[in-house]
Amino acid sequence: MLEINNLHARVEDKEILKGVTLSIKAGEVHAIMGPNGSGKSTLSHVLAGREGYEVTKGGATFQGQDLLAMEPEARAAAGVFLGFQYPVEIPGVTNLYFLKAALNAQRKTRGDKELDAADFLAYVKQRVKQMQMDVKMLHRGVNEDFSGGEKKRNEILQMLVLQPKLMILDETDSGLDIDALKVVSDGINAMRSKDTATLLVTHYQRLLDYVQPDFVHVLAGGRIVKSGGPDLARELEEKGYGWLAAA
Amino acid sequence: MGSMNSPLQHYADAFERLPEAARTTHRREALQRLLALGLPTPDLEDWKYTDLAALRELTPGPSDYRTIPEGAPPADADGLDAFNATFAVDGLDVEIAAKADLAEPLLATGTGHRRHRIRVGRHARALLRIELDPDAEFQTAFFDVDLAEGASLQVLRTQDATPDAQLITRIRARLGRDAKLDVSTVDLGGKLGRHDLNVDLAEPGAEVRLRGLFVASGSGLIDNHTRFDHRAPHGTSRELVRGLAHDSGRGVFNGRIVVHPGAQKTDSEQRIANLILSPKAEINAKPELEIYADDVKCAHGATFGQLDLTALFYLRSRGLPEAEARALLTLAFAMEPLRQIPNAAFRNEALKRVATHLRSDLDEAALVS
Repeated sequence: MLEINNLHARVEDKEILKGVTLSIKAGEVHAIMGPNGSGKSTLSHVLAGREGYEVTKGGATFQGQDLLAMEPEARAAAGVFLGFQYPVEIPGVTNLYFLKAALNAQRKTRGDKELDAADFLAYVKQRVKQMQMDVKMLHRGVNEDFSGGEKKRNEILQMLVLQPKLMILDETDSGLDIDALKVVSDGINAMRSKDTATLLVTHYQRLLDYVQPDFVHVLAGGRIVKSGGPDLARELEEKGYGWLAAA
Repeated sequence: MGSMNSPLQHYADAFERLPEAARTTHRREALQRLLALGLPTPDLEDWKYTDLAALRELTPGPSDYRTIPEGAPPADADGLDAFNATFAVDGLDVEIAAKADLAEPLLATGTGHRRHRIRVGRHARALLRIELDPDAEFQTAFFDVDLAEGASLQVLRTQDATPDAQLITRIRARLGRDAKLDVSTVDLGGKLGRHDLNVDLAEPGAEVRLRGLFVASGSGLIDNHTRFDHRAPHGTSRELVRGLAHDSGRGVFNGRIVVHPGAQKTDSEQRIANLILSPKAEINAKPELEIYADDVKCAHGATFGQLDLTALFYLRSRGLPEAEARALLTLAFAMEPLRQIPNAAFRNEALKRVATHLRSDLDEAALVS
């Protein structure tokens, strides 16, 4: 589904990614772990199409398409979703409008019929309940005055509404208390299927107790320095990252 | 009266052509002031961005002149006030009884120059809806407002002007003890808009709020001047204003706050945020604080910027096309001051105007109100 091949990227003059190669197939959950500053967030942003990053070498394809040549909205319509580490507040624009506009824009691009207001409301309310959020949140501004935990729940809500194929979740577990972590994990697990893939980007092993990955990779110094199964995450939790950076 | 060669002579001539009933003593005295003062020129600090040269040539035509409120001109009345008093065709002259609570707004609408007087009695509540003539080649609308002790007035003024419209308004208000004036303004488009809000917080506990949005586009200019005089203790003033400029549009916001000696515990805040949407557009925002009391809180801030790129990416990453994402962020920015308008009908009207003007097809669920 996602093929990342020798990806190099820099921000201004600083090279952050120095040759990332990774293959994710449908049905798989991959976790990328690594110390702060290793390039985890840069990788997420480059894949989602944020401006300000220059890809200097290598590339990435999504379902055979050149992902890096696509506009962010085209990537979204194709099925790529980025869960933000720091979700953005958009005061004044309701969650309801935002979700409906996003879903219908994607459906339009894909040539599907847009949902009308009544159908959408029923569709979204069900998912709000699934995330154990108050339906009143639909009439609040996007992330406006939300707590850290509410913002992360809202990211997963958006994911459930948009039903992407590839979910890139950047530090989704940070700032969550244990109850919220459980709800967020259930949301992520609900999206797992043979047709979807997940890339969890995380500093801690905690989330991986709830969302079991098939593969774990360690990103350090802009490269994947080690890959393994779920046991690698536990090893990292015990030993930290130091032994790998030294390697 | 001026000589035949005076550039102001056409005003005198126009006055003599008014119907006899309209040539009242009050109007004639105003004409004398107008001939002495002329219209303001850009060498005056308050008029440095707005040149009335083209308007000076326009001669008021025949109209159905009615009675306008008469009274001594304010001490600082300028030539524009005199012009308005000379040629105003009509206006409200309302006195609201003490403790009355008016559910329906007073309407200040219509074409031509207008001069209004509104007195709100002790502990009375009223609403005032001002709608300017969108097609006016030149319209002035002047308001003399007096709020007695505990009185409250909410105002919504809208200008949704065609590209040639030239509109000038001035609201002068005197606030008695614990009186509350809440003014919301939506100024969209036009060739020239000049809007003054001069408020005298004359007695303790008075409160004034301005929630404003202006959108300058084409080659239009929208120039806002506010002056709040805190003359007594425990006064509150709030200004929350957003400015947008497209094309070669120009916007001005000049917010003067004067805290007079003895106006202790004054609490004043002025927040102006501007969005420049084109390289040729321009906005000048200037706070002017003069503080002559020592125990006061006066906060102010002016920001200028483009759209938040992180927010833009956030919306696009969810599938919204770039143009739609930009439009949504622009609209949300513009509506911010108007979302808190206390009166629901005024609030909905203001938000609807902005959405329509910014050519948005957003449905009603789009925005938090």
